[in-house]
Amino acid sequence: MNREKYKAAFDQIPFSPDLQARTEALLWARLRETEKETQNMNFSKPKKLAVLAAAAVALLAVSVSAVLFLTPADVAERLEDAPLAAAFQSDDVVVLNETAASGDYTFTLLGMVSGEDLSALPAEYNGETVRDRTYAVFTVARTDGTPLAEQPELSYSPLVAGYHVSAVNGWTLGATCQSFVEDGVAYYLFDTQNLEIFADHTVYFAIYEGFVPSPAQFPTAEDGAISLAEDVTGALFTLPLDAGKADPTAAEAFVKSTGLEFISGGEAVETEDDAVLSEN
Amino acid sequence: MASFASDETISRIVETYSPMLLRLACTRLDDPADAEDVVQEVFLKLLTARPSFRDSEHEKAWLIRSTLHRASDLRRSAARRNVPLEEAAQAAVPSEGSALLTVVRALPEPYSAVIHLYYYEGYSIKEIAKLLGVPTPTVGTRLAHGRERLRRLLKEDDA
Repeated sequence: MNREKYKAAFDQIPFSPDLQARTEALLWARLRETEKETQNMNFSKPKKLAVLAAAAVALLAVSVSAVLFLTPADVAERLEDAPLAAAFQSDDVVVLNETAASGDYTFTLLGMVSGEDLSALPAEYNGETVRDRTYAVFTVARTDGTPLAEQPELSYSPLVAGYHVSAVNGWTLGATCQSFVEDGVAYYLFDTQNLEIFADHTVYFAIYEGFVPSPAQFPTAEDGAISLAEDVTGALFTLPLDAGKADPTAAEAFVKSTGLEFISGGEAVETEDDAVLSEN
Repeated sequence: MASFASDETISRIVETYSPMLLRLACTRLDDPADAEDVVQEVFLKLLTARPSFRDSEHEKAWLIRSTLHRASDLRRSAARRNVPLEEAAQAAVPSEGSALLTVVRALPEPYSAVIHLYYYEGYSIKEIAKLLGVPTPTVGTRLAHGRERLRRLLKEDDA
């Protein structure tokens, strides 16, 4: 690959000449707004008490709404996926409603469903349509009841006990995610290649602050069990998959297809190819 | 490390990182206007989230990861809504070099990010590993596989 040719291709992309100026102006304006809001928060004690009382009421409202989340079918409907909404109402759905709190957030995994052609919008990965998928719906809310205005910066990924977290994760499985915020709660529709092939292992679903899963964030025990490191904000749920649907041959073939099958024992092993590249 | 809370810091960060983040977003997105939106969103996120960084490398890594994350999310949403982004991009981007851009965008994100940081930004494999938070050998493998796929796709494009 010719580096100059590569650079020339990217240098010819026509960006707006005034983008930096516009961005700076936008950020300065937002900074002014934030400063104003901060000043407005320095109010008198009686006012403070009134706001605290209001916050308590809001917190109560959030606690009540915790049982009044949109259902997975509602979430699919909101995202204009009627066939998937129907799948979330079928007998195949696995209702979870599991909650975990960490950092500022409370994470709730509402439910999941797996199968072929469940969605109106089949997913593509590496140019191929992947029809057989697992869909999961989860929510993120602030534990203190403050409504979320936008989705927090989080990552979400399935992980499988016995497989290295770099080899089997949302990135290698071609996962996608859509989300929206409603009533201060962030709703997510996550989909990935069907996870049932791994069902003879413990299959996890992680929601966490970070990027591609690493062994530092997700330590693996000697028996292959994966956990969430104490210093990572997030939640690690276990998915109740039907072990009868496991396909160990397909699972092994998948791991090989990632090109990361050389990873073992929790540590990445440098291949000959890597060694050559490292010298460059 | 200074927080992102003064006009001077905003100017420094926007001027230092905008060009790199725009190009990086373009490894996932066909339309330069989408890349511009992504980069603005990332800067806004930095302003509102106010993460604390150990040093400038930590700050850069956060911006790079957030840009890749947001650009991939936008691309996935567009693909799911069946938005013909490619058609729009073909009209917007000049033809010279567009074949290379197309094949880079056809790579899975882990490969295209590594390829771009290596070939355009000139980072070493170790530096990329630090920026993306993945093991060094993984970056080496992604670079090798990405290079091979690029070669194959460019050959197919010529045929």
